[in-house]
Amino acid sequence: MTRYLKIAALAIAAMALLAVCGTFGASYYYTSQYGQGCASCHEMVNYVTVVHGSPHRTTNCMDCHEASLGTKLRHIRVHLFGTVPEAIRLRGKDVVAMVPGCKNCHQHEYASWHAGPHSATYQQILANPVQNTKQHLMNDCFRCHGMHFDGAIGEIVQPLNAQGPWRLMRPELADQPAIPCQACHQVHSQGAQEARPASRISVAGEPVENSLAFFDRRDRIHFTAASLAVPQLHDGAREVRMNQDPRQALCYQCHAPRNPEATTAAAENHWGSQVGSGDDRTPMGVHEGLSCISCHAGHNMNARASCKNCHPQMSNCGLDVEKMDTTYASGASKHNIHWVKCADCHQHGVPKMKTIQPVKAGL
Amino acid sequence: MKRVNAVIVGAGAAGGIVAKELAVAGLGVVLLERGKWYTANDCRKDDLRNQRTTFLGNAFGPEDEGNPRVWVDGDGGLHNVMPSEGPYQNNAACVGGGTFSYGAQAWRYMPQDFKMRSLYGAPEGSSLEDWPITYDDLEPFYEKAEYEIGISGDYSGTPYHGLRKRPLPMPPLPPGREFGVLGPAARRLGLHPIHIPMARNSVPYNGRGPCMRCRWCCGFACEVDAKNGSQNTVIPIALNTGNCELRTECMVKEILTDDRGRATGVSYFDENGHLQQQLADTVIVSGCATESARLLLNSKSRLFPNGLGNRYDQVGRNLQGHQYTGALGYFDFDTYDDIGPGADIAICDYNHGTPGLRGGGMLANEFIRLPIHTLDRLPNGTPTWGPAHKKAMRDWHRRTIVIIGPTQQIPSAEARITVDPSVKDKWGMPVVRIQGNCHPHTYEIGDVQAERAQKWLLEAGAIDTRLLSQAQNAEKATHVPDANKGGPHKPHSGLIPAAQHQAGTCRMGDDPKGSVVNKVCQVHDVDNVFVIDASVHVTNGGFNPALTIMAVAFYASNALVHNWKGTGFRS
Amino acid sequence: MQSSTKGGALTRRQFVAAGATGSVAAVIGCKSGRQGNWEFLSDEQAGTLGAICDQIIPADGFPNATQVGVLNYIDKQLVRPYRRHQDAYRDGLQKSDASSRKRFGKGLAELALAQQLEAVTAISSEQPEFFELVRSHTFQGYYGSPRHGGNRDAVSWKMLGVPEPPVRGRAQYDLGKGPQS
Repeated sequence: MTRYLKIAALAIAAMALLAVCGTFGASYYYTSQYGQGCASCHEMVNYVTVVHGSPHRTTNCMDCHEASLGTKLRHIRVHLFGTVPEAIRLRGKDVVAMVPGCKNCHQHEYASWHAGPHSATYQQILANPVQNTKQHLMNDCFRCHGMHFDGAIGEIVQPLNAQGPWRLMRPELADQPAIPCQACHQVHSQGAQEARPASRISVAGEPVENSLAFFDRRDRIHFTAASLAVPQLHDGAREVRMNQDPRQALCYQCHAPRNPEATTAAAENHWGSQVGSGDDRTPMGVHEGLSCISCHAGHNMNARASCKNCHPQMSNCGLDVEKMDTTYASGASKHNIHWVKCADCHQHGVPKMKTIQPVKAGL
Repeated sequence: MKRVNAVIVGAGAAGGIVAKELAVAGLGVVLLERGKWYTANDCRKDDLRNQRTTFLGNAFGPEDEGNPRVWVDGDGGLHNVMPSEGPYQNNAACVGGGTFSYGAQAWRYMPQDFKMRSLYGAPEGSSLEDWPITYDDLEPFYEKAEYEIGISGDYSGTPYHGLRKRPLPMPPLPPGREFGVLGPAARRLGLHPIHIPMARNSVPYNGRGPCMRCRWCCGFACEVDAKNGSQNTVIPIALNTGNCELRTECMVKEILTDDRGRATGVSYFDENGHLQQQLADTVIVSGCATESARLLLNSKSRLFPNGLGNRYDQVGRNLQGHQYTGALGYFDFDTYDDIGPGADIAICDYNHGTPGLRGGGMLANEFIRLPIHTLDRLPNGTPTWGPAHKKAMRDWHRRTIVIIGPTQQIPSAEARITVDPSVKDKWGMPVVRIQGNCHPHTYEIGDVQAERAQKWLLEAGAIDTRLLSQAQNAEKATHVPDANKGGPHKPHSGLIPAAQHQAGTCRMGDDPKGSVVNKVCQVHDVDNVFVIDASVHVTNGGFNPALTIMAVAFYASNALVHNWKGTGFRS
Repeated sequence: MQSSTKGGALTRRQFVAAGATGSVAAVIGCKSGRQGNWEFLSDEQAGTLGAICDQIIPADGFPNATQVGVLNYIDKQLVRPYRRHQDAYRDGLQKSDASSRKRFGKGLAELALAQQLEAVTAISSEQPEFFELVRSHTFQGYYGSPRHGGNRDAVSWKMLGVPEPPVRGRAQYDLGKGPQS
């Protein structure tokens, strides 16, 4: 009996020693090698290689990725049983858990985002009575909010009707952002370290911030902003002048026009999507040709203080555009700032410029 | 398990309707489905893995692993085939069946389609027959299906359809660019183009929204749930009655019979692979033409040594589908508008009435195409690889119109399903063996249809055309593009195109020696077993069969409910 | 929740967790022992296959096959649904390379583009079944969904004038409208 006890005690001691040494070694290895530890599993090599070409090359995997014991054991199980998926992708809860990690370094951007409409929570988006009485709750909602949620619409909100009252089936998500950082940013993107976009006013062909990418729920991958299309919109039959700023292609993925409705002239004549239809806010009238980002700041989407980029206070006309009768000054105005035209106010035609008469030569 | 009034095998187009009709009438129903219940969330728009393009498998079942079939080619060679391969003749395995991912064309057959033999006479070697019921018998049930499932479209532009009492419940979707190109051309040719009737919401209907006109339609599940199948219409109603229980991932092994020759229920493998029994007063088989026949043939017993209902060797015969032929037209302007579902214009002028041809078929433009579908649809003479192929993809992807249609097959008793004596599936059950082809006259009709499609395209201004005739289509199972699947099979005329439109294997008829079920889908031999699905189609029309499957299901359920006597069905 | 490990400072929980998994991994060892950048292909095979793919879809102002990840696609599928084609690839690539060496004295991957075209044309007649397999898979990787590792950023779709993902508004409608059955 004592013999067995001795053997058991020795075995336990040996295992404890192994655990202590192994623990220390492995932990140090995994957390301080910029991904080399993770890359020691062949499934991860390509992913780590990509990070090494990204602005996050000096970030350790575990600065962003959750690495609890359960997660690690799951990874080991997948590795050993060879059930590695075709592409290794984050689960919805992993994405949500990463947001505070982004905040750790990008505090200014986080604060800005948090102050803006894109930080809306699952509760605000999916259990919104104003929205849900008018629009059908369906899986397509996830294309633009809750895009990382792993499940069907009925698994997060009930009932799926227009009567309500609606409640979230996953209360832990209620306060979580429905449009997290990864909706528009690809963290494992190619790019130089610490490279930042410079200007706010955009022109066509301007280099795009590398991380800007749309998370496509169907494919569960990001499409870089440069690869996305800026649609050609129409005002009746006329083609609207579209700013080709590739960054705003990202906006158009959700703030998108509709296909023309049945029985409209646009549908019957195949004119294409009409400006201002659906959620589209493409500028027209005096602002035609501007990019979304010409006025709206990244992250908080605020357009305040952007007028003066083009309309300096000491302008030739002396008008204060911020006080003119548009939705910029007041939401109640009937002149939407996105498509206000000169003729909206100057109904009898725009007054002629006062010009100086030429002086005859020789006098 | 508790004995119920009816057990239904298969939750597809027909099974869902039967479940709903019986449950609403107060019968206790168990609905067994071998596949899963997917939702719009499972619709990942994967162009390499869906029910139409199956390079990497079928998105909505069955899995490639463990579900083989055997195909007998024209020379008698045996091939083990997987569900993602054309000769398998796959439809789908999920709640909703094919209607979960179909293109959703919802046509009524024409009155002539129910009396093909009387009209045309059976050519030698064919098994052409009249249905024991007429269009008029089915008309109220067509209407019921159109309203309960939800169909949009407009028949008013053509005289070529049976009598209708009510218009369709929803107007058609706004036409796409191809309609604008093809419509006037058809009218110049004296044809009668119409908006295709579709089981797709064009306006809010039944509490669900309209089609959002996306690029992924036929072969995919609908992201906005605007496509109407049994899974989002009748099955939820059935479940809400409290009288119907749906069990998914349950594969039925056989129909159980007692020593008096009546069915007592079914045995099935549940989701964990355990063998279970479900006793029932009535057994309804709605597994699609291949699998329903297989189940009857696998249900052997002392009284039914050749399989249930197979006393006269009729089960599995007369397998039909549709011969898809047509033409490609190439234009010098963009015809592609990126607006789904793409198919929006059809003519029914050529379904009947051509001297020398026994029938014909509807012609329509093709569903919206993804780049993967254009690869083998380039003009004649395009190299199959290299820079010229790549350039041709750029030149023609947005400038091609496909007109294609289902030619009504002239059936043959030799085109048939049997069960293979040696190959077993993952549950250990003998698998489907497919052999034979439809009558060769079908090919003659198909080739005429292809030329008609070509003529239409030329009238519409096509600068070049290419025929999609039967020779090129031989390898295809109706819609599946023939870009090689990497398998060992070569195009072969021994392959019958059945697949999604499979029908005919448990033919309806008055004569027990020449059919399997009577005119209310009741198996001649066993009065409490019904086959209700496309298996009972005597002929398969020159149209997509979904709405007819549904109408027959409503029709047969109606008969069943009205003859129900308390605890059992006594005819 | 967020592990901050700058400077090597570890919480006790992380310490234990990492150690435990590290020990387990060390004891069990790596099952596959695979080397190189691919799941199925060797680097040499990838070079040969890449040369064939790039003749099937060459660069012409738009990327060629390997630039958009076609090799990645084929490699991934060869250990998944296309496991059944592993032997065909092994044999086919070996024969292709041998054919190139016989004709030009060099492996396929080392040839100049014009010679590669000649060599690949030869493969298409010498090994028609293998070539057909590669042709089909190359097209899938180039024109298919980006989710499977090819068609990076859907560049081929963009080339064809078919934006992906499409710009598409939600189906916005009043629930009260429309006929109800």
